Amino acid sequence: MDKPLNNKAWFFVLPVFFLVAISAIIPLMTVVNYSVQDTFGNNQFFWAGTEWYSEVLSSSRFHDALLRNLMFSGIILAIEIPLGIAIALSMPRKGIWVPVCLILMALPLLIPWNVVGTIWQVFGRADIGLLGRVLSELGVEYNYATNSVDAWVTIIIMDVWHWTSLVVLLCYSGLVAIPEAYYQAARIDGASKWKVFRYIQLPKMQRVLLIAVLLRFMDSFMIYTEPFVLTGGGPGNSTTFLSIDLVKMAIGQFDLGPAAAMSIIYFLIILLLCWVFYTVMTNFGVDAPEKEVD
Amino acid sequence: MNQSQVDQARTSKGSVKFLIGILVFVLVLGGIGFLWFQSENAPNLAWMAWTKPTAIFFITIVCLLLAMSIWEAFSPGGGPRVGILRFETTRGDRLFLSLLGSGFIHLAWLGFVGPDLWRALGVSIVYALLVFTFV
Repeated sequence: MDKPLNNKAWFFVLPVFFLVAISAIIPLMTVVNYSVQDTFGNNQFFWAGTEWYSEVLSSSRFHDALLRNLMFSGIILAIEIPLGIAIALSMPRKGIWVPVCLILMALPLLIPWNVVGTIWQVFGRADIGLLGRVLSELGVEYNYATNSVDAWVTIIIMDVWHWTSLVVLLCYSGLVAIPEAYYQAARIDGASKWKVFRYIQLPKMQRVLLIAVLLRFMDSFMIYTEPFVLTGGGPGNSTTFLSIDLVKMAIGQFDLGPAAAMSIIYFLIILLLCWVFYTVMTNFGVDAPEKEVD
Repeated sequence: MNQSQVDQARTSKGSVKFLIGILVFVLVLGGIGFLWFQSENAPNLAWMAWTKPTAIFFITIVCLLLAMSIWEAFSPGGGPRVGILRFETTRGDRLFLSLLGSGFIHLAWLGFVGPDLWRALGVSIVYALLVFTFV
C-alpha cells in the first residue's frame, strides 16, 4: 500500500449511516419483530413464533404472487434490455439531435408512477381511450379490466414504455464514453458492425448494463403503483404481484404478522437474486474480450 | 526492515487505531443510548414490539459485525481468495453468504421438516463453517 490509511474518512460516512439506520435498519428490525407476533392493534403483541412463516410458506396465494412477479420481471428484462441497447446504438453521438433525443428519452422517467398508471388506464379504455377505441374499431376484443391476458399485455407495454428510457440513457452514457481510438482500430482491422458491438461496445457497456439490469430487476420485483392504478391487481388476482398482495394483507386485512413474515421472505429472495445477478455480471459476463482489447 | 514491512506495520497500526475508534464510538453511542432510554424523556418504542428472541438475534448479528471488524483490524484486506465458486471472495462476502444461506436453510426447514428450528440452526452453523473454509 502506497499511502497510510486515513480513517478520518469514516466520519464522513456517519450521516449516511444514521440515515440508513432510520430509514432502513430500524423498520427492518420492526418487521422482524412483527413477524413472530400477533397483534389486534393498540401496541399489544402476542408471541406467535414461526407460525406466520409456516403459513406464508404453505399458502398458494404467496406462491402464485411470487410466480407472477418472477414472470413479470423476466418478461420486462427480456424486452427492455435488448430494446434499450438497440435504441442507444441508433441514437446520434453528436449534433443538434443529441439533446432532443435525450430529452425525449428522459420524459417518461419524469412522470410520477401513479400518473403513468392513470394515463394507460384511460389510454386502454374501449369507450374513450385511443388504444382501446382503435383496437375495438379494428375488431380486436380488448379489455384489460375483464381479460387477464389483456391486463398483462397492457402492464408489460406500460412498463416498457415507462422504463426502457432508463436502460437507453445508461447504455448511451456507456457508449459515448468509448474513445474514438477503439473504433479506428476496429476499422483498420476491418471489423464488422457485429464484431464492433460484440468486442468493443458490449464490454464497455458492461458496468452500466449491470446497473440497468439490477435497477430494472429490483424495481420490477417491487412494482406496486402502476398495476395497482391500472388494474388494482385484477381481473381476479391475475395481476396481483407480491407488493400488491403484501399491502392487501398488511393494510387491507391488518394481518401484520403474516404480512411481516411475507416481507422477510420477499426480502431474502430479493437479496439472493441481486447477489446472484451482481456476482454473475461482475465475474463472468463479457469480461474476457475486454481484457483482450485493453 | 524493508519498505513492504514498513508499509505493513503502518497499515496494521492504522487498522488498530481504526478498531479502537470503532470500539470507542460504539461504547459512547451505546452509553448515550442507555442513559437516554433510562431517562424520563425516553422514546416510546412500544410500536417496535421487541421480544427477547428477536433482540438476541439482532445482538448476535451486531456481535458478528464487530467480530469481523476486529478480524479486519488484525488482518487487513479482507483475505481475498478464489474458492470453490471460482471467483474471488472476501471474508465479508463469506459472512453475507453464510447469513443469507442460513435464512434460506431455516425457511426450507420450516417448509419441509417442521417448526423445530434448533436443528436448522445446527445445519446453518455447519453450512457457515463450510462457506468460510471452502468458498
